[in-house]
Amino acid sequence: MNRTFRKWMSPLLLLVCWEVVTRAGWIDSWFLPAPSLVFQTLYEMVVSGEVPYHTAMSMGRAATGYIAAAVIGIGLGLLIAWSVIIEDFCDPLIELIRPLSSFALVPILFLWFGVGNTSKIIIIFKSCFFPILLNTISGIKGVDKKLIMAARSLGANGQQLWIRVLIPSALPMIITGLRISTAMAMMSLVGVEMLSSDSGLGFLVIDAQRTFDTKRVFAGIIVLSALGFSVDRAARLIQTKLLSWHTETSLGGK
Amino acid sequence: MSFIHAQNITKTFNGKNNGASTMAIAEMSLTIREKEFISIIGPSGCGKSTFLLMVAGLEKPTTGDLAIEGKPINGPDHQRAIVFQEFLLFPWKTVKGNIEFGPRLNRIKKQAYESQSRDLIRLVGLEGFENRFPHELSGGMKQRVAIARALANKPKVLLMDEPFGALDALTRESMQIELQKIWQKAQCTVLFVTHSITEAVFLADRVVVMSNRPGYVKKTLAIDLERPRTRKMFTSERFRHYEHQLKESIWEEEETGSWEINPVEEKRSA
Ligand SMILES: Nc1ncnc2c1ncn2[C@@H]1O[C@H](COP(=O)(O)OP(=O)(O)OP(=O)(O)O)[C@@H](O)[C@H]1O
Ligand SMILES: [Mg+2]
Repeated sequence: MNRTFRKWMSPLLLLVCWEVVTRAGWIDSWFLPAPSLVFQTLYEMVVSGEVPYHTAMSMGRAATGYIAAAVIGIGLGLLIAWSVIIEDFCDPLIELIRPLSSFALVPILFLWFGVGNTSKIIIIFKSCFFPILLNTISGIKGVDKKLIMAARSLGANGQQLWIRVLIPSALPMIITGLRISTAMAMMSLVGVEMLSSDSGLGFLVIDAQRTFDTKRVFAGIIVLSALGFSVDRAARLIQTKLLSWHTETSLGGK
Repeated sequence: MSFIHAQNITKTFNGKNNGASTMAIAEMSLTIREKEFISIIGPSGCGKSTFLLMVAGLEKPTTGDLAIEGKPINGPDHQRAIVFQEFLLFPWKTVKGNIEFGPRLNRIKKQAYESQSRDLIRLVGLEGFENRFPHELSGGMKQRVAIARALANKPKVLLMDEPFGALDALTRESMQIELQKIWQKAQCTVLFVTHSITEAVFLADRVVVMSNRPGYVKKTLAIDLERPRTRKMFTSERFRHYEHQLKESIWEEEETGSWEINPVEEKRSA
């Protein structure tokens, strides 16, 4: 038995048990619909354009919040790592806002911006922003002092040092922050769409629940799970591609 | 004719918060001729690395004068290259990219630095590895890259801080022989810090022995062995004699050595 096959074992087994249990009538279909039924519902929802529409809405929000967090997070992170004055200025605010659950902001955001897209994007932004910011700061600050000395003795001055040494050195950390945040984006996306929305996958699931349509709830969850999985895989792939020089240095010592 | 001239330099590091300061170097004076190969030995913590960093312009003496070609050293300069024990290559750059780092910063024409990096790669024996990344190289190869990278700026001074300290004994010996060749080709002044007396004698025109911290020049010993030096010399009478002299003066330091852990505050003079 090879490993790929072994890794398919547990999900397949789950599906089979699930199907048997529901088909045998031990559990109400209303409570737990059979997987075959769920996949059929999912297929219909895809063909009808429902799933593509809500996926597009969700991904649009997630991407907007994420990209804004990436740009501002990296930018501010570099500034903070560059200047102690900026760091001392920003640090208290960061420490206060960072531990706050993104959802604690929901009431005030809904009050200010209404329940529309803006509030949702801000919440996604909040949950992506800090991992990116903090990884950028510690990435730059963690650059080996002697590596900087080596670069300076080769003739690198301030700006060249940043562009050719500090940022490339910090890149593994920055990219790790970017990757962690893709998961954050997906999680807060669903939460915020369930709170209030008329579109998006979170809405799709919560709306099906309101009408006790369990098949659709499960279909929505499957889409979310597949989406989360693909986004994470894509992020990992990009990470290893970009850092092919790094992955092995971190494992193989100096 | 003096090329690098250190006159009564001291270096004190200020402690972070409470201000307990460490005097690393005290009243050190040393004159180095152009194209001389100088080995520096001394007890651990006596300020050898600190001295090298000051010549590199990466640290400033607290007092005293440190000049090269009559001009005071203030700040790093691509004419003075430094090689560390830890290699410190840029891991995201290939061998070629690492070597060309300096010339590209200093806006040298592409053709010029490319043909130069080819020559350097040949000089340090890394043909065929141009496009490898540092993590694909052995320790000895990494240090060759670091040396080639330092030489790419055509430095007048090559500063080496225990460059072979992380290598195994066999690699180390062959690197010593190669460094000698490289130095004769590159025609630069070398300041070479090492903990190995044998290595110091084998490579140097003159060996500088530093005292316990705070360091000053305790002794200099001219090594009068013909070049190129060969492995056979290791066992020659004269070589042994030099080694012995240096060992004695190091032992002396260890016996009189102050072993206290607290930073030494008072000044000692030579
Ligand atoms: N940046 C620094 N800040 C504070 N103290 C320092 C700093 N650099 C060196 N020192 C101190 O100065 C003294 C000399 O250090 P240095 O690294 O020059 O010694 P060394 O002769 O190179 O020792 P070794 O042989 O162990 O490498 C030591 O006591 C060290 O703790
Ligand atoms: Mg040292």
